[in-house]
Amino acid sequence: MSAPATKSHYLWEDPPDEEKYSACVHCGLCLESCPTYLETGHEQQSPRGRVHLIKAVAEGKIPLSPGFEQPVFTCLDCRACETACPSGVQVGSLIEAARGQIRKAMPLTGWRALLHAVFLRGVFPHPSRLFALGKLMKLYQRSGLQALARKTGLLNLLPGHLQAMERVVPAVPDPVMKRYPEVIPAQGTPRGRVALLTGCVMDVLFGDINEATVRVLTRNGYEVVVPRDQRCCGALHIHAGDREQGKILARRNIDAFLHARVDSVIVNAAGCGCALKEYPELLQNDPAYREKAVQFAEKVADISKFLAAHGYEKPTGRVEARVAYHDACHLAHGQGIRAEPRQLLREIPGVAWVEMPLADRCCGSAGIYNLTHPEMAGKILDEKMKAVPEQADIIAMGNPGCMLQMMMGVHRHGRTQRVVHTVQLLDWAYQREAAPQEERGM
Amino acid sequence: MAAIDPLVRELSQIVGPDAVLYRREDLIAYECDGYTVRKQPPRAVVFPSCTAEVSAVVKHLHERHIPFIPRGAGTGLSGGAIPLGGEVIISLVRMKRLLHVDYENRLAVVEPGFVNLKLTNAVAAKGYYYAPDPSSQYACTIGGNVAENAGGAHCLKYGVTTNHVLGLEVVLADGEIVEIGGVPDTPGYDLLGLLTGSEGTLGIVTKITVRILKNPEGKKTVLAYFDSVEEASRAVSDIVAAGIVPAALEMMDKTAIEGVEAGNYPVGHPKGLEALLLIEVDGISAGIDDQIARIVEVCQNRNVSEVKVAASEEERARWWANRKTAFPAMGAISPDYLVQDGVIPRSRLPEVLEKISRISARSGLRIANVFHAGDGNLHPLILFDARIPGETERAVQVGSEVLKACADAGGSITGEHGVGIEKKEEMRYIFTDEEIAAQIGIRDVFNPQNLLNPDKLFPKPGRCAEMRTAPGEAR
Ligand SMILES: Cc1cc2nc3c(=O)[nH]c(=O)nc-3n(C[C@H](O)[C@H](O)[C@H](O)COP(=O)(O)OP(=O)(O)OC[C@H]3O[C@@H](n4cnc5c(N)ncnc54)[C@H](O)[C@@H]3O)c2cc1C
Ligand code: SF4
Ligand code: SF4
Repeated sequence: MSAPATKSHYLWEDPPDEEKYSACVHCGLCLESCPTYLETGHEQQSPRGRVHLIKAVAEGKIPLSPGFEQPVFTCLDCRACETACPSGVQVGSLIEAARGQIRKAMPLTGWRALLHAVFLRGVFPHPSRLFALGKLMKLYQRSGLQALARKTGLLNLLPGHLQAMERVVPAVPDPVMKRYPEVIPAQGTPRGRVALLTGCVMDVLFGDINEATVRVLTRNGYEVVVPRDQRCCGALHIHAGDREQGKILARRNIDAFLHARVDSVIVNAAGCGCALKEYPELLQNDPAYREKAVQFAEKVADISKFLAAHGYEKPTGRVEARVAYHDACHLAHGQGIRAEPRQLLREIPGVAWVEMPLADRCCGSAGIYNLTHPEMAGKILDEKMKAVPEQADIIAMGNPGCMLQMMMGVHRHGRTQRVVHTVQLLDWAYQREAAPQEERGM
Repeated sequence: MAAIDPLVRELSQIVGPDAVLYRREDLIAYECDGYTVRKQPPRAVVFPSCTAEVSAVVKHLHERHIPFIPRGAGTGLSGGAIPLGGEVIISLVRMKRLLHVDYENRLAVVEPGFVNLKLTNAVAAKGYYYAPDPSSQYACTIGGNVAENAGGAHCLKYGVTTNHVLGLEVVLADGEIVEIGGVPDTPGYDLLGLLTGSEGTLGIVTKITVRILKNPEGKKTVLAYFDSVEEASRAVSDIVAAGIVPAALEMMDKTAIEGVEAGNYPVGHPKGLEALLLIEVDGISAGIDDQIARIVEVCQNRNVSEVKVAASEEERARWWANRKTAFPAMGAISPDYLVQDGVIPRSRLPEVLEKISRISARSGLRIANVFHAGDGNLHPLILFDARIPGETERAVQVGSEVLKACADAGGSITGEHGVGIEKKEEMRYIFTDEEIAAQIGIRDVFNPQNLLNPDKLFPKPGRCAEMRTAPGEAR
């Protein structure tokens, strides 16, 4: 790596890597892959434009200004451009580093600062508070308060996007972390020992998916460890430019999972998987953790990839449904996982495959993007919904953020599709082996 | 902060406030296109959404003597969309609808910002495609293709953009809207031919009627590896001499192969190759196998080290993605590149390639050659690092020398990327001062005040006495 340009406006630790932006040759072949460019037609809202501006700040042409902040934070970090780019430019990593610099130069103010302080620093890093939030949700849903709030129009006091979210948040089951022991034994002949990243949002909002994951793994002969010391993966923090908090969480997780002595760390949330795999980059300047991060990242595997690579028992139970698949950005573009989940779904007896056009186009969820950029996220979601085939009963995917967003899309567009996680379908198929008549034709 | 340019408010009144960019950061994003050697931000960028808005914007600028530049996707490689000082960019990317497809008459009508590849995608289900396929087709606009008269790998057999344009709607430099072509064989001057390839200096294209073609019945693709550039070049001549007209006949040399293999779409070509040919034949199924057999034979006579036919559509697609992303893949082995676009008579390939390699050795800059070998259209990619002082200038100089070599071999300085700002001086390699002045005379008929993409395409007068003719006299 050559010395940073002296005129650079990047004054803090972890500036965007010169090698990475120099790889961009300004060809423009990434333009049409970028949802925000397609929406606006604005070059600065394209991968090429963003990389160009990141370089311009390093060259001292422009300062870390609001005019730079806006395109950099309007990026979904969906990485579709990385799939498209012939030169292999790592746009996501550049964007995240630039955000880190921007947040140092221009700390947040107003409601965004509040959101950040309350959720990113205050809640997500602390499992107990997360669970408390989950409990509140449940109380809200079960006590009739939800119905009351909806009936009285009390919800209208919330900003539009939060209202929309409130409507689709699934009935909250208890988190797996609370209900299962730290080590869950394998069924049948043991094949190995794996750990499960429960994930913050995943466990609180989609505890049933974690449960399904545990069942699928144990059924296939894996002993599953759920390390109690694990934390939120930090992806949301890194995306928001809070690299410090991201690093703290990363170190915690590395310790927790290496301590668990497992063969693999299984992840069922694409965004988290991607973030875990990028710990080595995040901690590259941390001598105490650099190597441990590499060691850890090598163990990380998405559930669909893990099952495909190690083999699994093919289910004989039937799930009679027409299924379409949505590529979560952080699976397809971030981790190059496209074939495995499709294969897994298509092998479930009873599943009729429905091809979804533009399956790997972002849905607009992108972490908390739908909260910070509701308008853009909404437009991108509308585009996505246009591609969802009418005849599908189920849209399957591998990321909880996408699931929430797609549920919102289904709701808003008056569609009927059920939004489920890939591993849930496999779990259902296993369950129906015992009771084959149950729940047919959903 | 500097006060907002009053022009911004005026333009906003025409196109709406979300359709004008003026912030310094936003303008920096428009300071260059696919040619990065020169940079200059525009005064503003405006995004009309229909022809009437283009016309209104142009009228407004024309009345105030403010220069302007049309821009599509900004993938141009000769700097045609780069401002030289004070221009407003008129971006056509929000005019991106496919207006009409007429399968019976095999034509499609598109807005200028419609992306090339999308046209083929839109008509593929019915068995049609749009033939001109520049390697940038994932992103470049058909408006930009018309302006540059873009070519592509399959233009060897099917011709370049001009052979596929049937009609244009154009906004002239003063805002007037005119329609040209549209009927088969329009009598009078071939204005369509004149407008196509005029690099945005004669008018802004706002609607295009193009030909669409029926998919060929069959298609087969061959990949041939060589241990010598010379043998590969001779094989190219032999194939054409044998009376075969391949749909595409592409070549890459050693450095180019290194680049594509380091990029995002590697094929897994063997290491240590000196050259490869990618050859495609298409047409009536019956004749294809026979042509393939003859191509394989020609290659074998030229000591090919390995030759294979794509076993599946998937393999064929991989080979093409590898070739079509060759330019940017160089980003994986070099921070910057400058791509040249010389044309030479096919028979002189070995000799010119030899000359290019001498230029490379002398300059110390590596040159990767990727080219449409079938029609003698070379794309030497000069690899450099703009961060090293003086290296950009050296690259530009090398580019010029390469073009001189092409011109000396009886060729031309551009096959498909246009002149833009890059090759203005090199126009002198192939035109006399009088010939250049005559062309400027034509420009002046359409663009008398030189407001529309000013100072592109032609060298500055000075060395030649530019005979600036008044519009009346030009006829
Ligand atoms: C990786 C790569 C590969 C390429 N491969 C090829 C190739 O194989 N063959 C080839 O021919 N070219 C190729 N090009 C060059 C480029 O893509 C073409 O010249 C293309 O036609 C430019 O289209 P654009 O929409 O990007 O136009 P821009 O770059 O935006 O503009 C190009 C010129 O056209 C003018 N212009 C744009 N739109 C209009 C309009 N509506 N009316 C009037 N003038 C207009 C501009 O003023 C400018 O002078 C390649 C470029 C790249 C980066
Ligand atoms: S990011 Fe990649 S595809 Fe986009 S302009 Fe840069 S090199 Fe080209
Ligand atoms: S990550 Fe997504 S939104 Fe960001 S520049 Fe790339 S394609 Fe665009």
